[in-house]
Amino acid sequence: MSNPVLMALIILGLPLAAAIAAALMNGTALRKLAHWPLIFGCGTAAVLALMLLSDIGSLPGKSIAYSYTPETWFAAGKLKVNFSITVDPLSCIMLATVTFIATFIAIFSSGYMHDDPGFARYFAVMSLFVFSMCGLVLANNFILLVGFWEGVGVCSYLLVGYYFAKPSAAAAARKAFLVTRLGDTGLLLGIFLLWKLGGWHTDLTAIFEYIHQHPPATGELTTACLLLFCGAVGKSAQFPLYVWLPDAMEGPTPVSALIHAATMVTAGVYLVARCAPLFVLAPDAAVTISWIGGITAILAAFIALAQNDLKRVLAYSTVSQLGYMFMALGTIGAVDPTFAVTAAVFHLFTHAFFKALLFLAAGSVMHAMGNVIDMTRFGGLRKLMPRTHITFLCGAAALAGLPLLSGFWSKDMILESLMLGSQHSAQYASAYYTVLLISLATVAMTAFYTFRAYFLTFWGPERIPEEAGHHAHESPSVMTIPLIVLAVGAVFVGIAVEPFNHLFSDFLERTPSLALASHLFHGRAGSHGFDWALAGVGTLLAVGGVVVAGLMYGRGGPEALPAILEPIWFASRRKLWVDELYYALFVKPAEVLAFLAKPFDGVLDALSRLISYVPQFLGQALRPVQNGLVQFYALSMVLGLAVFVSFVVFRITR
Amino acid sequence: MITLWHYLAVAAALFGIGLVGFLTRRNLITMFLCAEMMLQGVAINLVAFARFHGNLSGQVFALFVLAVAACEAGIALALFIMLYRRGKSLDASTWQGLRELGVGPTVDDEALSPAAPEEEMPVLTPAGRKPEEEALRV
Repeated sequence: MSNPVLMALIILGLPLAAAIAAALMNGTALRKLAHWPLIFGCGTAAVLALMLLSDIGSLPGKSIAYSYTPETWFAAGKLKVNFSITVDPLSCIMLATVTFIATFIAIFSSGYMHDDPGFARYFAVMSLFVFSMCGLVLANNFILLVGFWEGVGVCSYLLVGYYFAKPSAAAAARKAFLVTRLGDTGLLLGIFLLWKLGGWHTDLTAIFEYIHQHPPATGELTTACLLLFCGAVGKSAQFPLYVWLPDAMEGPTPVSALIHAATMVTAGVYLVARCAPLFVLAPDAAVTISWIGGITAILAAFIALAQNDLKRVLAYSTVSQLGYMFMALGTIGAVDPTFAVTAAVFHLFTHAFFKALLFLAAGSVMHAMGNVIDMTRFGGLRKLMPRTHITFLCGAAALAGLPLLSGFWSKDMILESLMLGSQHSAQYASAYYTVLLISLATVAMTAFYTFRAYFLTFWGPERIPEEAGHHAHESPSVMTIPLIVLAVGAVFVGIAVEPFNHLFSDFLERTPSLALASHLFHGRAGSHGFDWALAGVGTLLAVGGVVVAGLMYGRGGPEALPAILEPIWFASRRKLWVDELYYALFVKPAEVLAFLAKPFDGVLDALSRLISYVPQFLGQALRPVQNGLVQFYALSMVLGLAVFVSFVVFRITR
Repeated sequence: MITLWHYLAVAAALFGIGLVGFLTRRNLITMFLCAEMMLQGVAINLVAFARFHGNLSGQVFALFVLAVAACEAGIALALFIMLYRRGKSLDASTWQGLRELGVGPTVDDEALSPAAPEEEMPVLTPAGRKPEEEALRV
């Protein structure tokens, strides 16, 4: 296997084949086996992706990319859209992460969904989801990227609304689709603008090259970058469009794991990381990204503080962690872009492990508790579910950023990039410094809410809801083995690839687009060694959060809050009234508008109905002519012929 | 001297008689014969023009008309037999079911004369010796 493009195409094709196979199995006797295509397809794709990773990693050279343009998709005037894909270190890492995580989620799902009536449908859409995400990271053309981007959106709609008979699930699916659609509009506009600025190219590499040769006005480029970021905001659930992600908990839990860890929400981070050569030329857009990331991180962390729904805590933590990634990406304009992108993608990479782990562990809890996920109704499960308990602890510790776990290293890199940004940025030093402070506050809050959820679920007296019945037990090994694998990843993957041997950053910096971005970067590069002070502060805050959570919730059981915290908890539990605010600001006016527009619609309807009456009347008048009598028909033919013939004869002879 | 005009006059007369017969008579067989008559009128036209122009294409056409008319006769008579078996009548107006929904049937004002009772037909006596049953049961 030496041809990287061929391998990438196979990796892309396997999930698609799995989707088709699972869809064909639906409705046949084979539908109980519909998980095998996804497990096999995705597992093979993961192995291939790891081989591809090692192949690309062992190649010499400063920048590595294999582009492949088999076919023009369509062309009209200046617009020319190719089916072009590119294999470079960035897309390789994304491919490996997506397929690897998805494989274990698939194995877990086969246990979790085992007697669900829509088994085959579930696995078909899951495979399609993985396919779309793989296509998204391989696409080297903006329009193709948008195609896969929307494919991811459709699959998330189908999976969030998997229990479509449940009104709340249907509403959540609609919300997810519509809210991300708002961002997608921005993305499309951004792509159109880039098409114009980038010399009428649609291929990413061609646009980067053109903009490198002919830098456009900064204002225009900033606009384009912000519009691109709009798409990322919608897909990656950033403020103000993050509201869909917590609601997406209505889908089956493994779907949440897939959406939060491997596919969908990482698409926005990937997009910005891929477009680093553009953002490096638009520092204003970059600092906006940092700000949005910071606001999202702290807002979501605040909301997560007091949630009682285990899955919702995890959902808000995802929003918050994505905020971290964007904070790091926002430093593209101030520090070496390669470092900023590496920090963000490294966090994406480690986050994929521990967030998939946490969600699957939450799913395992939910499975045992008879689909109850409210943490006030169960507790003290550490004896009952020892494997789930230990793996959840690994994930929670990694998410909290406790030292030496994978979350610690990646979070530290992000803090470092913000620190460097505040030291080296010419215009925005204070902005980056503020974001750094926000991120440090979020570190403490993250540790607190993660361990609050952990203690509430696994410590204190054992309580089991009545829905669980008598069969509250540890999940079967088909569910716990993925948990163990991911837990090992969550603990060791960070320390294995970055802090001592710099495998990850050395690998990633050979991405041509990042090399181009670094080339375009004019600021001071700054040295980025391991910053002991920053790491120490981060560790202190994280440990402090864990300790506070332990003091408050270590005994498990219902919350006993100091009176001073009550209003804060109340605000957090009500999610800061953001949903209510959006309802009042956007949904309600739209409803009023719809109400006002209704009479007008009625007028239009009446008009069209009036038009439809004309042929009806004509038909009514002509109906008696068809009376079924042969001779009547013959007579009318003769009369018609006579009229015609006499017309011809008299016109011609005259 | 018989000219083209005479032939055309005969053809037109045949065609006209057929047409009128087709439109006025309600007996299916009569109507069919009238339709045949119209066809023959046309065939005469074709042959006359073929003679007039001195080529054979009109005659070939007339032969085709004859062949088609023969087939048509076979099918039409078979159909008439089936129709008669279903409706015990050869009246074309019996069959008006294929009309638009909501349009009433067309009813004849003057009643038809009742069909004559079927006459007892003479039956041929079987000829020859009656075959023996044992011989048949081989």
